[in-house]
Parts: sequence; structure tokens; C-alpha cells
Amino acid sequence: MANSILLKLGSLRFAPATLIQPCRTTTTKHYNPKFKKERAAKFLKLDLPKPNQEVGEMTPEKMRQKMKERGILPPRPWMERPFYISATGGVFEPYIPPEGDGKASIVSTTRAKQTVQLLEKKSKSMMAVRKIKSFDEDFSTADFCSKAQDIYIKAHESLANDDKHAIRLYVTEKAYPEFRHNSRLKTIRWKFLESLEPPRVVHARCTDIVSKENIFGQVTVRFHTRQQLAVYDRFGRLLHGSEILAKDVLEYIVFEKHLANLYGTWRIHAKIIPDWAPPKEPSKHTRVMADPDPDPEPVPEVETAEKTEGDTPAITDK
Amino acid sequence: MNHIFKLLPKIGLKTNQILGLHTNATLSAWVKAKTPKKFLEYNKKIFPPQAIGDEPRPAFVCHQKANIKYSPEKLWYVACLVRGMTVDEAVKQLSFVNKKGAVFVKEAILEAQELAVSQHNVEYRSNLWVAESFANKGMVVKGVRRHARGRMGEVRYTYSHYFVRLEEGKPPKDYYKINALTPQEQLDAWLEQMRKRKIINSY
Repeated sequence: MANSILLKLGSLRFAPATLIQPCRTTTTKHYNPKFKKERAAKFLKLDLPKPNQEVGEMTPEKMRQKMKERGILPPRPWMERPFYISATGGVFEPYIPPEGDGKASIVSTTRAKQTVQLLEKKSKSMMAVRKIKSFDEDFSTADFCSKAQDIYIKAHESLANDDKHAIRLYVTEKAYPEFRHNSRLKTIRWKFLESLEPPRVVHARCTDIVSKENIFGQVTVRFHTRQQLAVYDRFGRLLHGSEILAKDVLEYIVFEKHLANLYGTWRIHAKIIPDWAPPKEPSKHTRVMADPDPDPEPVPEVETAEKTEGDTPAITDK
Repeated sequence: MNHIFKLLPKIGLKTNQILGLHTNATLSAWVKAKTPKKFLEYNKKIFPPQAIGDEPRPAFVCHQKANIKYSPEKLWYVACLVRGMTVDEAVKQLSFVNKKGAVFVKEAILEAQELAVSQHNVEYRSNLWVAESFANKGMVVKGVRRHARGRMGEVRYTYSHYFVRLEEGKPPKDYYKINALTPQEQLDAWLEQMRKRKIINSY
């Protein structure tokens, strides 16, 4: 009677007993509470595994308790952090592409400023090229351009073929994740159609890292090419670009070489995106905007001015 | 932290012994149990690009909830219920099913929906339907119970896996084929079949 479904319903709880037809809803319980304990003792208790228990969600105290139960020592903290020193982590003194690719109006202030700066930078580039030549005798900017284009094409082809081992030959460790970003489980169809203008070296820099002899060289090459790109998602649906549309691409690619390393090679290191570059094409998908973060509660400002005066001398110009 | 727990079964438990009997399972209380791997592999399949003008291939996402402490026999009823429903309908129905398994199934469907939108290029989260939904047997922990006259019995503490595949688009009108063909349709089908006959070796 205690589990009668009608009794569980709130409004009928006070109905006269004659109206209610008794009906048991709980079928897994013995009707006689006597010997309940003995019945339970028939089964040997055991700790059932909890496979979906999230270890990450456990509080440190809980974790400690569990480990004490089992007599396990906490793991040794892992303090190693791998880092790679055959490529630099960025572009030093990056090339600033002139306004409108050098074709902006002469009257514009930015162009005037940039032409002055360009002269200073050109001499620095010459120095850097000389430095590269001291390590690599056969280096010449004219030859390098065609070599750079070859590297550029091969890097993109290996990305389209999803050949991660080949990419490493043409892309530095810094650029690798940027290169492969968002390409997982996607089909990329990329085609290099032609070079509209011969590629040219616009910028060169050298830097030493850690020691004086450990020198890296970075050369920025301007490519003006015609390419075709189509990106398909996992189900073969077009995500971006098109296979029947060719586009003119103007790019400033930074190539890097570990000059101090005898076996160093020129590899793609970064891409310089000018501020005046046209905006990106919007995504074809409709998306829900993420909820804006709730405004952080304004911290009530405690007047600490008086306190600090006593402890540290305030800077005064009085 | 996980690697500590992998060591656990080797260390074993000494505290959980009653009358010299090992009542604890070989898998100790919080080792990660084996999970089925094959079903999720379907999420990695890459289809060839489609030509322009082709009907876009519907996206799908496979998801599983492994080692639920619930009987697979009981979970089967819940799994069958949501088959061929839209995601929204399935979630709505499941929230009124007064069973423990309904909670797991609902959770799995919602997780799969989230995955579909975030990782599998599905544009609208409501434009999904439950294409597959089934339950499998997971690990079984064997326990002991007492019987009369000093005999013993085996208790099976069963776990189950739940699998769900959501597909983009509208669900089929009659998933379970409850409404069979009307007499007219049956006749048409028969006629069609008859006309399609071919005399062998004719040409």
C-alpha cells in the first residue's frame, strides 16, 4: 500500500481510502519487510567498477583518498618540455608590403613614408644576402626565386596529397601547424596554373640565436601567381573555393634556412599578410553566435592610496 | 593521471576479501575498461568530392556511450524507441521515458548532435535524424550469492554500450514500414515486376 501509485499523486493523497484501488507499482521489492537484512546478506558485496568515472573531474582530496586506499604514490611531475632549435619561432623584422603593392597613389602619406623606410631596409637586405653568401657560396637571389617557387609548389602539393612526411621537407616546424590547420579529414584540390610575374626577393634578414655562430637566414619572396583551390569536407561537399575558377594570388612568403647547419634547407616559414589585403571571403555556413561572456563583476575599488603612501614612497613631482 | 590507474589491476586489492574469497573483479574499481573502437572509425571515412550539381551527400556522425551500468536487454527497448525520429523528437520523447537507460540515450544523442555541428560540418542542429540506434553488451562483472545448503550462485553485473548514428536531413516517412502498401500499390508493384521479366538468353 505504501507504494500505491495513487498515493504518490499529490492531490489524491487525501481521498478517502474507499475510492482508491490498491495497486503496487514497485515490483523489485519484497512485500514483507521482515528478514530484509538477511535477504541482502545473500549477496556478497563488491565494489563495481565505474568505467565512466572522470578522473579529471575528481577533486585533489578525493584523488588522494583513492590513492591512499590503494597505496599508490603520486606520479613524479613531468618537467620536460621539448623544444626545437632548427627553426626560429617567428619572423624577425618582417617585411612590410608597400601600400597597394607599390602602386598606391604618390600623394598618399603612407606611400611617401614607406618609400623612405624602404631605402633603409634595402641596405640591410643587401647585408643579409652577403651574410647568406658567406655560408652558401652558390646563393644568388635570381636563382633562389625559381627554387623558392619550386618549394612553394611542392609544399602545397604535399598538403593537398595529405603527405605529412613530405610537408616536413618544405615547411619549417613553426609553419607546420599553421599549414595543416583545419585540413584534417578534408579533401584539398590545389593547382598551380601559372606565374603571372616572375617571383622576386624583396627582403632578407639574418639573425643569430643563442650563440653568435648559430645563424638563421630569412628571405621574403613575392609571388604573383594564378591558382585554383577547392576544399571539400568529409562528405565531398564543397566547403571553399571552386575547381572551375582560377584566382590571381599575390603572396609574400618568408623562407628560412638554418645557415649554421651544413644540411639546412630553405623551407617555407611564414606568410606576410599586408594590412591592405582584401578581406577574407565569409564562410558559407550559417552559424550561431556564441553567447557573449557575462560582464565581469566590477570589483569594488578599495581606497588603497592611503595605505601605499605609508609603505612605499609615492612618486611625486610636487 | 590516467597512467596510474592502468597500474591498478597489477597491484590488486587486498582489502576486499571476504573469507579468503576474491570478491573484487580483476578490473579494479576505476580502471578504464575496454571500449568498442570500430563504430567510431566510420567518422573518419572520407568520401570522394562531388561534382557540381550533385545532390549533396548527407552528413552523418557516429557516437557511442561505452560501459553504461545498465542491462543491454533493458537498454534495447529505449534504443528502439528513438530509431527513425528527428533529433528534437527523440530528445522530447526520451525525457518522458521513466527508465534509467533513457538518460544515457538522451545524453548520447545530445552529444552526437553537438559533435555533428562542431566537427562534421552540419549546418543546422535540428536537421538531423536518428539513423541507427542500438545497444550492445559490455563487460560483465561476476559476483557471488549464497544459496541454501552451502551452495553458491553467480550474479552477473552487466554493462552495456550504446551506439547512435545521426544523419543529416529529414527522417524517412515510415521507418518501421508499419504502413504496408495499399492494394492498388501492391498490384502496381506486381505488374511492374512482371513486366520486368526477361527471357533468358533472348538478348
